[in-house]
Amino acid sequence: MSVSKLNKQQFGQFVDAILAAGRKVVGVVAKNDRFVFNTLKSAKDLRLDYDVTILSPRKYVLPQVEPLLTFEVGGDAKSVKQNEPMILLGIHPYDLIAINQMDELFSEGEYDTHYMDRRKNITLVACDVAKASKNVFASSMETAVADKGYDILITDIGDAYLLDAATEKGQALMAYAKGAAAATAEDLKKRNAIQEANKTGLNKHKLNCKPSYLPKLMETAYNHPVWEEKARLCYSCGSCNQVCPTCYCFDVQDRVNWDLKTGTRVRCWDGCLLENFATVAGNHNFRKDRSARFRHRLYRKAKYVPEKIGGQIACVGCGRCVTACTADIANPVTVYNRLMEERTIG
Amino acid sequence: MTKPRVAIFDFACCEGCQLQIVNLEEEILDLIGTVDVVEWREAMSEQSHDYDIAIIEGSITRLEDEKRIEIIRSRAKILIALGACATIGGVNKLKNNFSITDVKSCVYGKHADMPHLDTYYTKAIDEIVPVDFKVHGCPINGREFAAIVRALLLGKKPFVPDYPVCVECKALENVCRWEYNEPCLGPIIRAGCEAKCPSAGYRCFGCRGYVDHPNVDAAREVIDKYGLSLDDLRTRMVLFGSKQGPTL
Ligand code: SF4
Ligand code: SF4
Ligand code: SF4
Ligand code: SF4
Ligand code: SF4
Repeated sequence: MSVSKLNKQQFGQFVDAILAAGRKVVGVVAKNDRFVFNTLKSAKDLRLDYDVTILSPRKYVLPQVEPLLTFEVGGDAKSVKQNEPMILLGIHPYDLIAINQMDELFSEGEYDTHYMDRRKNITLVACDVAKASKNVFASSMETAVADKGYDILITDIGDAYLLDAATEKGQALMAYAKGAAAATAEDLKKRNAIQEANKTGLNKHKLNCKPSYLPKLMETAYNHPVWEEKARLCYSCGSCNQVCPTCYCFDVQDRVNWDLKTGTRVRCWDGCLLENFATVAGNHNFRKDRSARFRHRLYRKAKYVPEKIGGQIACVGCGRCVTACTADIANPVTVYNRLMEERTIG
Repeated sequence: MTKPRVAIFDFACCEGCQLQIVNLEEEILDLIGTVDVVEWREAMSEQSHDYDIAIIEGSITRLEDEKRIEIIRSRAKILIALGACATIGGVNKLKNNFSITDVKSCVYGKHADMPHLDTYYTKAIDEIVPVDFKVHGCPINGREFAAIVRALLLGKKPFVPDYPVCVECKALENVCRWEYNEPCLGPIIRAGCEAKCPSAGYRCFGCRGYVDHPNVDAAREVIDKYGLSLDDLRTRMVLFGSKQGPTL
């Protein structure tokens, strides 16, 4: 499919036309001196020049609190779906890859209809990174650019945006783009230069191995002293889970109404670093030590999840956990590099 | 089903937590409809000795209050501590940092020796009698209180977060106060307030008390990384952390 070009003014009109048609658009907007994904009201609020958002767009794909069903004690339960169509606008490639991984996880094995029905109604509009955030290391994780998984990919080439509509959903959206021209060979060369630069330039922390080596590395790391050393400072605050685009654990809770008969069953974000994450019936906590929980997260990213989804590493190098961890211990690169250096220990 | 009889009592406090209950506008009628309130000084004049659930606001600061709480405990099937004063001693515990004679003469001047002013060190309710459930916070979160009451009426264990404030704070996409080099107690304090203070641009000063296993040793080391001193943290902990649980 061909790549279109819109000058900056036309691009603003394109976004406003989508909004005027009553479509729900979630885009990147400023929040004080940071950025967040939020419901977009006007093209002028959109900030495709952002570095990173505080939370990842996961909060729209897998909401923080999602009603699953309403129930009546001793009576019927009725399934509730939260799957309003929406356009997610401005997803960086690493976050896009995280969503694509989640799609695989929620459809392999037990197919999750709540997740998948919602996901099918979401249009993913990605954009190439225009500014490196202070802790990004997507280049190390080979997630700095994406060549698939998006409906449209936007690249800022200076005086214009290139829009690459890769799917039918993406093409349908292009109907709102008035005055689009076909990208020239020159434009595509500019795009290529930006993407090539990102492949090495989004690298504030350098991983000393290919990401594909990580599952192998973890095979002999289970008893390494690094887990204990790092976890000593861990608050079990779960911040590293909350901000992570690839964390998808949830907890299911029942919320009862005042009639004490009817209520709603919801699922909410959970996190494997939280003290009682692994507590099961009978109050037995099978991951009681901070170090065991700390280790679990880094094993999940580098070994357990990759084993489920064809070797893809479940850390996409967004760097959010590095920023979010008050104790400054959550950086996956620091831990993996240490394990690389001391491969014979543990 | 007969409605459970509920009595609400206050000890040393500002009664702000009861006010949070009164302020539960849409829900207060539902609440009143499901229980039978038999004693509540703030809202009614009747008194009763016959109740199933006793809700206690405030901390214990006098010997005679100790006796009173013991009697209430012996009459109630379920005893709930309401608000920081009751659950952890709250702001009242500040006084435990000083000698009682000094505190009394500072507050009451020449009347310090009057018998009705015979106060001693502040205690949380569970330092005197067993407490079944705690509603944390200064003041409490009305919605959380309502959810706890509903769970109790259903005979279920109420959900009270055992994770730190950071969980709710991060979910709301606040920029962490530590990124502005401000020592925030969020990582060691129990969530449930919807990260009220950081969401308003202030640090958490710990009104909901510590999580079950706060990593205070980490707090000690982490403070160095921010070029702050242990005293910077200590002064933040004194308001709600005085003479209770692990200290720095
Ligand atoms: S582990 Fe950290 S860097 Fe990796 S994807 Fe999650 S938040 Fe981003
Ligand atoms: S953010 Fe840091 S301190 Fe908090 S749970 Fe994760 S590793 Fe531990
Ligand atoms: S906990 Fe706070 S608001 Fe509640 S009674 Fe005590 S001082 Fe007042
Ligand atoms: S501001 Fe406080 S509560 Fe919020 S994340 Fe930072 S330390 Fe935790
Ligand atoms: S943020 Fe901290 S001080 Fe503020 S209400 Fe919550 S627990 Fe209390």
